[in-house]
Formats: sequence, C-alpha cells, structure tokens
Amino acid sequence: MAGLMSLDTRRCNYFFLYDGSKVRGEGDPTREGICYFYPEETPLDKQDLLCGQLAGVARCVSELSSSPVRTLKLRRCKFAVRMMADFFWALGCSMDVPTVSVCELLDHLIDLFCFYNGSVRQSYQLNSKESLAAQWAQYLSHMQSGPSELCYIFRCLRTIDSTNVDPLLLLKAALILQACQRCPLVLVGCILFRGRVVSTQMSPQLTMKVMVHESEIYTKTQKSNEASTSSSLGGAVSSTAVFLTTSELQYLQSAPVNKDLGSQSTPHKDDPPKKTRLSRTLSDTPSTESETSCPASLQPPQKLRFSPHVSESDDSLFSPASSQSADSPNPSPQPLRRLLSNGRNSNQTEEEVHEEESYRAGFQNKEDEDRQMDSQGDGSVFEETPCVNGGAGDGDAARGTAFDYRGADSGNEHSRDDRKAAGDSGVCCRKAKGHRAGTRHPPPLTFDSLEESPLIPMTLYMHRVNGLVLALLVEPRLTSDSASMEEVYHSSLASLNGLEAHLRAAPPGAPGASGQYVFAHYDSIQSTLKTNVSGRSGGATDHPFVRATSLLHSHFCDTETLQEAIIRNVSAAMYGTRSVAQETYFQQQGSLSRNWGIPSQQDSAFSLPSKARHRLLKHGVNLL
Amino acid sequence: MAAKKSTLKVILLGDGGVGKSSLMNRYVTNKFDAHLFHTIGVEFLNKELTVDGCKVTLQIWDTAGQERFRSLRTPFYRGSDCCLLTFSVDDNQSFLNLNNWKKEFIYYADIKEPEKFPFVVLGNKVDVTERQVSLEDARQWCQENGDYPYYETSAKDATNVAVAFEEAVHRVLAMDDKTDYLIPTDTVKLHRKPRSANICCS
Repeated sequence: MAGLMSLDTRRCNYFFLYDGSKVRGEGDPTREGICYFYPEETPLDKQDLLCGQLAGVARCVSELSSSPVRTLKLRRCKFAVRMMADFFWALGCSMDVPTVSVCELLDHLIDLFCFYNGSVRQSYQLNSKESLAAQWAQYLSHMQSGPSELCYIFRCLRTIDSTNVDPLLLLKAALILQACQRCPLVLVGCILFRGRVVSTQMSPQLTMKVMVHESEIYTKTQKSNEASTSSSLGGAVSSTAVFLTTSELQYLQSAPVNKDLGSQSTPHKDDPPKKTRLSRTLSDTPSTESETSCPASLQPPQKLRFSPHVSESDDSLFSPASSQSADSPNPSPQPLRRLLSNGRNSNQTEEEVHEEESYRAGFQNKEDEDRQMDSQGDGSVFEETPCVNGGAGDGDAARGTAFDYRGADSGNEHSRDDRKAAGDSGVCCRKAKGHRAGTRHPPPLTFDSLEESPLIPMTLYMHRVNGLVLALLVEPRLTSDSASMEEVYHSSLASLNGLEAHLRAAPPGAPGASGQYVFAHYDSIQSTLKTNVSGRSGGATDHPFVRATSLLHSHFCDTETLQEAIIRNVSAAMYGTRSVAQETYFQQQGSLSRNWGIPSQQDSAFSLPSKARHRLLKHGVNLL
Repeated sequence: MAAKKSTLKVILLGDGGVGKSSLMNRYVTNKFDAHLFHTIGVEFLNKELTVDGCKVTLQIWDTAGQERFRSLRTPFYRGSDCCLLTFSVDDNQSFLNLNNWKKEFIYYADIKEPEKFPFVVLGNKVDVTERQVSLEDARQWCQENGDYPYYETSAKDATNVAVAFEEAVHRVLAMDDKTDYLIPTDTVKLHRKPRSANICCS
C-alpha cells in the first residue's frame, strides 16, 4: 500500500490557488497571493517561483490569444489551469495522466470547494487561510484516495458491486429515498454503504461531492467543524451546510422524467398551505399547477433529445472533460445535456434556440409570477407527470425551494441577472469552438461566471447506521423544523436498519483478478468504472495497463472518429473501444513474445477484440 | 437484582399485507401510515423498555410477507427470542397460512425445541368490519398449536398493540427466568452473547 501511495502522490505533484488581487504593485511579494499550495512542505521560494511563473505565463498567453489557457505543459509535469476573476488555480500531474483528466480533476477540486464552502472569494473573506487550507488538503487527499491509478484517468463513482447484491435491495434503497421525499423539504438523496453508492437520485457529479463529506465523517468522527445536530434523533444524524449552483438546483427540482424542464420550475411562489404540509403520499397530486404559459414547456419530446447523435461531435473532443466536471460552475440550465454530452448534439443550433427560449420562458415566469399565483390550478400536463411517475409531486417541493431561496436572496434582480449570464455563456459556447487548440475544455466563460452565478445554500443531512449512510440534500429550514426532521428520520430508520443488515450479510465479492486479462470499462453517463485492476495487489503489474489506458483514453478524447484501437509493444497488447457513452479497455496477460515489428496476419493482437467481447460478457460488459 | 441490559429479538411473520410493518411502527413510533410500500427483505426498530426493573432493548424485526422475498428474509430468523405470528382478521387465507409461517420459522431459525419456543399470535385489522376469521377460530388454533397467547390488534387505531408486544417480552423473560432459577443469579449469562454474534454473521 505504501508503494501505491507514493505512486499516487507522484501523479499529483502540485496544486495551488493564487489570488492575484493580493499582488498588485511591483513590490508586493508573490507569496501574499498564495492562498494554498500543495505539497504544503514546498519551500516558499519554490512556491513563489511556480505561482509567479505559471500565473504570468497563463495570463500572457491568454491575453495574446484572447482565449483562456486551460493547460500548460512542462517537461515532466502538466498543469491544468483555471482562472476566475483574480483567482488562479493550477493542478500539476505527471505526464502519464491524460490532459483531459487533469483538467477534470482540477474542475472537480474547485467544485468540491464551492460545494462545501460557497463562493471562493467570500470564503477567503470569512475564513482564515489555514482553515481553508485544511479543506483543500482534504479534497486533494480524497481525490487521491481512489482504489487504483485508474481513478486519475476517469472520474468515477464507486458503486457497490451489484453482482453480489440482490437487486431487490437496490430497489429497497431507491424506495427509502423516495419515502424521504415525501417530506417536501427533502430534495434528493443517495444511500452509501462503506463508501460506495448503493442508490442515488443525484447526478453522478453531485453524488461524488456528497461522498467526500461522508468519507470524512466516516474516517474522522471526532472532528466536528460543522454544526452537527445531535438532537433527540441521536448522534447518528448530522447535517452540514452545502452550496448548489443554480443549474444543479434546477436539475434537482425538475421532475425525474423531464429533468431538463428545470428552467421552468424555478421562480414560483409557493402557496402557504402547501408549505405547511409535512408530508405527501404517493396518491397525492399537486393541486397547484401553473406556468402553462411558457411555450418551451409544451415540447417535452424535443427537450428530451439527449439521444443517439451524441457521438459524432466535435465537442466530444472536449466533452468527456467538460461534461463530467463542469457541472457546478456552469450556470446553463441544461443539466441534462451537460450530463450526457459526451459529445455534441448535432442539432446544436436547434438546441440553442431552445435554450434561449427557455430562458425567455424563465423570464416570463419571473415577471408573471404574481399573475400566475392567481391562475393556479389550470392543470398543465407537465406538472402532472411527476406524480404519474411516482415522483410524488416533486415539482411541489421544487417550487417551494425555488421560492425560498429567491426570497432569501437578493430577489428578482439577481435571478434575472443570472439568467442573462447563463444566456451569454451559451452564446460563447458557440464561439469557443474556434479555439480548439488552446481550449480543450469547457467553454471559457464557465469559470468567469462562477463568481457571478449565485450559490444557493442547502443542507446536507446525513443519517448513519453503521456502514450505511443516508445522505439527503434538504432545504436549510428542515434542520430547524423538528417535526419534519422526525418525520424524515422515522420514515427511513427501520428500512435503513434492515438494508444495513442485508448489505452487511452479503458475501464479499469474489476477487476479480483472474490473472488472464485486465480490463476497465467506463460509463461516462453514470460515471462508473468496472475493472479488475485492484490497485492493491502491488499495482506494479497493472501499471502498464493503466499507462496504455491513459494513452488510449487521450486518443479517444482527441480523435472523435476513433472508435477502436489496438496498441502493442513487444510484451503486451491492448484493445480499446468506445461508444457514445462508454469506453472499454482490455489487455490479455501472458506472453506475446513473437509479436514484434510489423503485425502479421497471425499476430495475436488481432484476436483481442473477440477475446474482449467474450471475456467481458461475464462482467456484464457487452461489446457486441 | 441489578438492572441487566439485554437485547430481545422479536420477529414479526405473516402473509404480505396483514400489517406487520404497521404494527411495528405503531408500537415504536406510535404512528400509522396507510401508504406503506411492501417491505423488502427485513427491517427493524429498537425500543427501550424497563420490565420488572430490567432494562431491555426490544429489537423488533419486520419481515416481507410476499413469497418472492423469502430468500431475503429467512437468513434473519436466527437468534429470535420470540416470534409474532401475524394474520389479518379480514383475510382467511392469511390465517390458514399461520401453520406455514410457523414451520418456516422453526426451520430457518433452527429452533431445537419448537414446543417450548415462545410464539404469540396476532390477529390484526380488527378495526375492519367484515371479518373472515372469528375470534373463536383463532383462539382454537392457538389452543391446538401449543397454547399460544392470542391478541386481536389494530395498528390503525392502536388497539392492543402495546399489550401484544409486552406479552412477547414477558414470555421471553419468563423463559429466561426459568433457566435463571437453575443457575445462581449473579453469574454472568453467557448464552445471550453468542446468539447476537450469530445474527451478525448469518
């Protein structure tokens, strides 16, 4: 394990956050601007040098090219770079790690910080550098704690091994989450067991963020920087403040089926009687329907267009990164598209028209809000769908929330501005395509608008039963509402106890490594990775596989038309294939001793694809 | 006698829909929810009780009644101290199935002396007006099968629920007391521990 750790730390060499606003004049020392530097034991002079040089180069290049710099490559280290307002982040990894992945990792780090601390500027105004340094260190260590080196290449959720678990238990977990949602203050949730996802209602990105806190409290139970409510419900329940971006919130608020109708449900006043209701049952139907006026909402089929064309895209070059990582900073209210955008939508223009349409719709809503208050109950088709689909009137809760935070926030002006910002960045997406060389990654404005896009305070509620954790994103007022707290607690307690007992009793998975082959199968939509690379059994044997995977992954990202590839050296050959949403890598162990030079007809490398198809079937990976 | 702390495992068995989950919820949280989904596998809640000066944690295990969940629930029968056989008075079939439930329990819980094991029988849903199982029939079955105590309950309006669970506790404690008489009271009771260990491992 120690060997592995050292390997890991070598892969992520540097990380820093530099605040340019602290260094304005000639005489200002660079170190004034260094908010956090990893490794923390780096000599200050070296910190100065690296921060000063990288920030300088990045600024210079971005001004010359009038496009933001996303990566800087040195000889032995590559840096992903993010600039936002006066802040400058850089994450340096070894050259082995694909560039897309380094960028993703950095985005993920920043997202994590914003999720738990809110806006970066504000955090540094309110807290000491030291306490925030601890946060960065925690996120970094979490990021590096993946089970194998593959976690540097693919941002993935660790899920329970579903082949070992009765599918009924997954259903049970999903039902627990639904039962919690009967309390309108509960937005969404996920259930984790021993640091792995059992069931989640959140996007993979949001789930990953939630898991950081879970693993933190799991490992260091004593450490309590956050307000933990050890109420009558016992020490098993805790809560902490978190921050969602508008797009995340919209995604959560939209109905399970028509996720991308989110923008319509935002500004809406909840009627008081609704708010006071503590629970909903499956048979309840929301009594208030409105917002029928917006034209965009009348075309759900078109909105659900995340389908087949995703693959041949020129965005796919960028997107595995952007789509997976950019979730929070991007205020565009098209979460679904982002989620699934492992590629471009070929009907891009249509999409954008739509996007704009829905913004407008949003505006109208906002402006017509009061009027709509009166016209409630005209029963739109849409608002009913959530109930039909067992969503138990999600829309309701959503609208309640929307009103709440808008109310609490500065109000209408604010949200209107957002929307404008979002719209603008949409426009820039299009332009950004021209800058492929410089920007491999998401549209430049995403991060510029990060600061402007308001982060909405929410609360992360956690209920732990031994190794099992129920994590819910709830409205902050839930924690002060003891009746609702008890309702949520009691509605789930027995089932959580039971689920925990079941999962604990489940036999541990059979050791995956069969010795004959190594594989990795990544699903970019669900952000899941299936692999038999254990990482533990002295990662050295798997290292060539990881390197080859890294190489092919980069190629897949860079070459949109590339679907299959075999790479080979004297001792090993690897087959890689990708589809719209998945990438699969397969390497046969054992000698290929006679394979060198120009491949002959008999070269065993050519049999890899069929072997992969055959072997991986039993892992549930279908390459046919 | 010093207050001893122990956990009693009580398990609710019976056909799907007879109200096992509702009984548990009514007893532990005093709430009733008409819209509960089928229980999948098993669930449990703890309730602290003080009986005759003894602190007892009553662990009530609720199980899935449907046949398709059988393989999920049966591993958790082991280590039960008492079994509550439950049927619904408005469903004759659920009453007829009591025998099967008893057999299933004895088999999977690996009960060595079934005739001595404390069963309690609950006829739930007495609030419903159309009964299919008469009080006499139920009593007769209990009489014939080992003189089990019988309670007519309603989780909906809380009739007899607490009484029934308390009876279960008394039955178990009475069993324990019998064995206690055989051993000096201040000795350490060893037999409880391994049992709970079994639960973890099964």
